[in-house]
Amino acid sequence: MAERVTVSLTLNGERRTFEVPPGRRLLDLLRDDAGLIGTKEGCGAGECGACTVLLDGSPVTSCLVLAASADGHDVVTVEGLASAGRLHPFQEALVTRGGVQCGFCTPGIAVTGAAILAHREADPSEQARLLSGNLCRCTGYTKVIEALQAVTGMEHE
Amino acid sequence: MRVGLAASRYLRQISTPGAARPLGGARVDVPVREVLRPGSVAEALEALALHPDALPIAGGTDLMVQLRNGRKYATALVDLDRLGLAGLQESDEGITIGAGTRMDAIAADPRIRRLYPALAEAAAQIGAWPIQCRATLGGNLANASPAADTAPALIVEGARLVVASTAGTRQVPVEEFFLAPGRSALTPGELIISVRLPSPELGPGLRAVERFVKVGPRREQIISIVSLAGRALVGTDGTLFEVRLALGSVAPTPVRARRTEHLLTGRRPDAELRREAVRVLQDEIAPIGDVRAPAGYRRIACAVLLDRFLEEASRG
Repeated sequence: MAERVTVSLTLNGERRTFEVPPGRRLLDLLRDDAGLIGTKEGCGAGECGACTVLLDGSPVTSCLVLAASADGHDVVTVEGLASAGRLHPFQEALVTRGGVQCGFCTPGIAVTGAAILAHREADPSEQARLLSGNLCRCTGYTKVIEALQAVTGMEHE
Repeated sequence: MRVGLAASRYLRQISTPGAARPLGGARVDVPVREVLRPGSVAEALEALALHPDALPIAGGTDLMVQLRNGRKYATALVDLDRLGLAGLQESDEGITIGAGTRMDAIAADPRIRRLYPALAEAAAQIGAWPIQCRATLGGNLANASPAADTAPALIVEGARLVVASTAGTRQVPVEEFFLAPGRSALTPGELIISVRLPSPELGPGLRAVERFVKVGPRREQIISIVSLAGRALVGTDGTLFEVRLALGSVAPTPVRARRTEHLLTGRRPDAELRREAVRVLQDEIAPIGDVRAPAGYRRIACAVLLDRFLEEASRG
């Protein structure tokens, strides 16, 4: 059997340990080893953003992260955005504003959007710039930005 | 080609008789036998010395793709995550940026934005936000791409790299670091530790103008078709001094445009001089045509970028 590496990380707030092949990507650890299939693989090359997760609070494309490098770090996937049984306000807004169509890019967009809100970025053009690494072939982004703006407005009230 | 990766894997999957394995799983792992996770720079250098076929990995934003599409090969990876190489240090001589510092931190740092705006602009234009949160300065340089966006900025800023191996530490000017596409002055077992930026020198009545500009099919998430970093000191009458120009993606390595610099130094960039500068620049670069753009487009684009920089330099 090939050698395996131990990866201990905080995953959606829970301390977890995995034994994985040395070349495993964080994306595959999440989907195959942790069973968290909310995170999607699009291009596998860091171009599309479908696999975006939070690593120590920052959005990263998990297809480009070596699982072993995530050892000791904090990872939040789309499954970890909701709290106490309630969707994250941005997830809620994506639903009510129609920011979802086929849904494949949505987990990545939800994660990046949550990070944008956590960074308190309120300017819509700056929000769009930060979201530019998340590609969507259906909605045309307008409703996604509207959803972000809806939450930004709520937080300012 | 980067975008074709997922599709080609899928095609291989459906065309292999009896391939019952689902997408995902061991098939998509990076093909390495071992990952070493040193806890210090000394341990990392030892690991690299002991494993000649190992590659260091930091953010992985280039390397993970290259390892999976076969453009690079390693039996082992040396993970640099625990080396503590991220962060900035200020001294009288300038600023030292740890090789593990990520692009988002460089782009947001107020000292970098004030003193080395070309570097801040370059870092802010690499990939998109999720790439900037992961990609490191050392990785952008070590990958030795002719399109590395931080390279032209660091060249005009006169930066030096501190590189180390078990044999010792040495400094390499960024300008001399790139040898060919994918090849740098790093010898086997050497690792970039930090990047040293000298304190910008300013004379009385002089202001520094510094810009990084790049061209691509969209603003974010693109590999530069052409990039240009410019730095000059501008006198009160508009005369340019100490002009430095460096370009990416117009030659096998990031390059300085010394003849154009020479032409512009000590003169005021009026319309006629700007036209002449464009001619000299187009003559001294050697762009190729590739999947991103034909050579002729690169020649035209770099003229536009140079003119944009000179426009800014001549504004009062």
